[in-house]
Amino acid sequence: MKKEPSRIVKFIQDNLVLCALIVLAIVTAAVQPKFLSAANLTNIMRQLWPLPFIALGMTFVIIGGFIDLSVVGIISLSAVITAISIDTFGQVGAMALGILSGMAMGYLNGVILTNFGAMTQAEVLFITYGMSSIYMAIGLMATNAETIRITRSTRSISLFNALGNGTLGIVPIVLIVFVVILVLMHLFHTKTLAGRGITLMGGNKNAARLCGFNIKRTMRLVYTLSGLMSALGAISLVSRVTTANATCGTGYETNAILCVVVGGTSLKGGKGSVIRTMIGVVLITLLGNCMNMLGLSTYMQTVMRGAVLVVAIWLDNRKQL
Amino acid sequence: MSKAGEYLLEIKDVCKYFPGVVALDHVSLSIPYGVVYGIVGENGAGKSTLMKILSGVYTKDEGTVIFDGETIERTTPIQALRRGLSIIYQEFNLVNTMTVGENIFLGRFKETHGMKGTHARARELLDSIDSKIDTHAVVGDLSASEMQMVEISKALSFDSKLIIMDEPSSSLTQEELSKLGNIIRSLRQRGISIIYISHKLDEIFEYCDIVTIMRDGRVIDTKPVAQLSRGEMIAKMVGRTIENEYPPRTDNVGEALLEVKHLNTWKLRDVSFTLHRGEILGLVGLVGSGRSEIVRAIYGADHADSKEIRIGGQEIRVKQPWDAKKAGFALVPEDRKREGLILPFSVESNISMASLEDLTHKGVIDKGKERQSAQRQIQALGVKTPSASTKVLNLSGGNQQKCIIGRWLEREPRILIMDEPTRGIDVGAKYEIYLLMNKIVEAGGAIIMISSELPEVLNMSHRVLTVCDGRITGEFDPRACSAADIMDKAIG
Repeated sequence: MKKEPSRIVKFIQDNLVLCALIVLAIVTAAVQPKFLSAANLTNIMRQLWPLPFIALGMTFVIIGGFIDLSVVGIISLSAVITAISIDTFGQVGAMALGILSGMAMGYLNGVILTNFGAMTQAEVLFITYGMSSIYMAIGLMATNAETIRITRSTRSISLFNALGNGTLGIVPIVLIVFVVILVLMHLFHTKTLAGRGITLMGGNKNAARLCGFNIKRTMRLVYTLSGLMSALGAISLVSRVTTANATCGTGYETNAILCVVVGGTSLKGGKGSVIRTMIGVVLITLLGNCMNMLGLSTYMQTVMRGAVLVVAIWLDNRKQL
Repeated sequence: MSKAGEYLLEIKDVCKYFPGVVALDHVSLSIPYGVVYGIVGENGAGKSTLMKILSGVYTKDEGTVIFDGETIERTTPIQALRRGLSIIYQEFNLVNTMTVGENIFLGRFKETHGMKGTHARARELLDSIDSKIDTHAVVGDLSASEMQMVEISKALSFDSKLIIMDEPSSSLTQEELSKLGNIIRSLRQRGISIIYISHKLDEIFEYCDIVTIMRDGRVIDTKPVAQLSRGEMIAKMVGRTIENEYPPRTDNVGEALLEVKHLNTWKLRDVSFTLHRGEILGLVGLVGSGRSEIVRAIYGADHADSKEIRIGGQEIRVKQPWDAKKAGFALVPEDRKREGLILPFSVESNISMASLEDLTHKGVIDKGKERQSAQRQIQALGVKTPSASTKVLNLSGGNQQKCIIGRWLEREPRILIMDEPTRGIDVGAKYEIYLLMNKIVEAGGAIIMISSELPEVLNMSHRVLTVCDGRITGEFDPRACSAADIMDKAIG
């Protein structure tokens, strides 16, 4: 008879990512003591944004069994909308407008996907990619491809400054805001009927539909959530760099997917959690920081990132056997 | 090596262990040349595991396998094929978008000298089993029976000495089945042995020469079919005697409960019928006749161009499954794995998923209540599972089906629609499902049952409607008519 793996082995198998994270941190700290310095850790926490927000939204889409490449366009356009409306609506109005526009773009994605009957991963992939181009192009037209500096605004941008640089003690304010949202989203996912609907849809949308779940509505919900999170991410980005342009979201979609998958959420849908995604975010961010500390070239870092994604998917597939 | 001995395939003391389970426990079989060899057993008896070892999907942990005089230690699916051992799975292994000829010689076009040779050889193979399918036809357009012919031709193209057929009849109509029977006989005459795995004992008795009965990973008995009675076989399969295959019919049919009028879809033409309280209504038709489409359209799962549904005289609108569910419908779908269950999820969440609204207070799911409801159904239906958190994919077919039924019983539906409620389920579990159906109608519910197994319909229903080409073609009292009468109307 085959032996059952011991509990320690099983824990490592189930939490490979977490273990890799710990090993990585220990190795880097040993090689480069600066890694654990307060300056470096603060730096990481400041440079982190907007990735956690994007990955949080992406988690819901992926648990629901789909994918969202349009976050690039949504981040860019809502960043632009936020930045250019400060003069007219003030900073609170601008933030609200940015958030609303993000949700509207996400909702529009959901409406288009459900009404065009896009139900396979490939169709969803390309339609959201197309929507991303549209949003980005609108941003380019609105800004004439110029970068907008919010520091030049005639009105107060104190909230943006607080989000970008402010701390409460040593904890960045944006981190506090994020943790509150994370906890709410986690409760939403694990406790509510709508949250369960997302998981069931990702598990088997036909079965969920026959059990009385409204699949179209759930799809619109996950894309609206992804839009909302992208807009929040856009605001955190604008706050940190104090500029916005129509391509500022580029690259975040792949990084967000990377974080979700590395965190152990299955690309097949139906399995995963927002907390796991945060482990993924921390790992990917630390990986980048460690590679910088160890002096790896940018190209080599890209290779490593790709390798991590492939290994994460491979591990997920192995687990299903 | 030359043909040593009289057996084509000898399996001696083969064991296979999965974590925590002995899947095969010293299994021994000897299959002579040119026989049809039946293997029967309940789900989980070890039939599929054994076949997967033969075809190279799994490796055995102990024992010996001798195929055609050659001892086989490890094998891969392609090596097994080249040796002359083919397996035709219940779900066919064909590329739907490619032609018949291409499918038969998939990946071996060099051997057939290009497409022309491929189609010519494919034609010969199809002719040899008397099939008239065009080798240029796209496989996706074929019927299930034609796909099976393609699979058989593929097996023949490897000069197979042994063809394993796993539940070959599950998607065939009566007529197609008798055609399959002819092919099986002609293959046997050519010296090819066939392992025939089926839950349908009638077929075992009709086609097989020898039968092996398996239970719990062990061989219980091997005998020439002629020396076994149906009752004995069932008793050996389930390890106890079953008096009857069907429970006695209930008798409390009441007033009209559901009226369906002028149901039209792209497939259905003006379907109207009535269902009474306490009644089991059987829908009989060939695969593709529109029988599943009728219930799916009523349930709101498919689009209907027009329909009028009344429950207890009151008209209701059903646009999507949610509306049907609220009106007291429940659907046990035809394809358990694709439409019924979420396989990697727990038994608990599979059971609770239809009644979650009832377990939800202000949008928040009450996990305690959810657990209770799952436990209640697991106990009431006797679902055999280690715990409520076990993944439903680890359960046998019968227990999976019970989870789907339990999911709906939690809502106490007025009208339960069951599409192929016992497909792929072993004899013992079937009987339990029949008892459940009786319980539901005794409690005042009503059931619409679709089944390809005519005996099941005849013995369970109070009334039978035949469906052919999207229309209802006849109405029968199963107590007062024969299977032949019904089939006559169902074929049209």
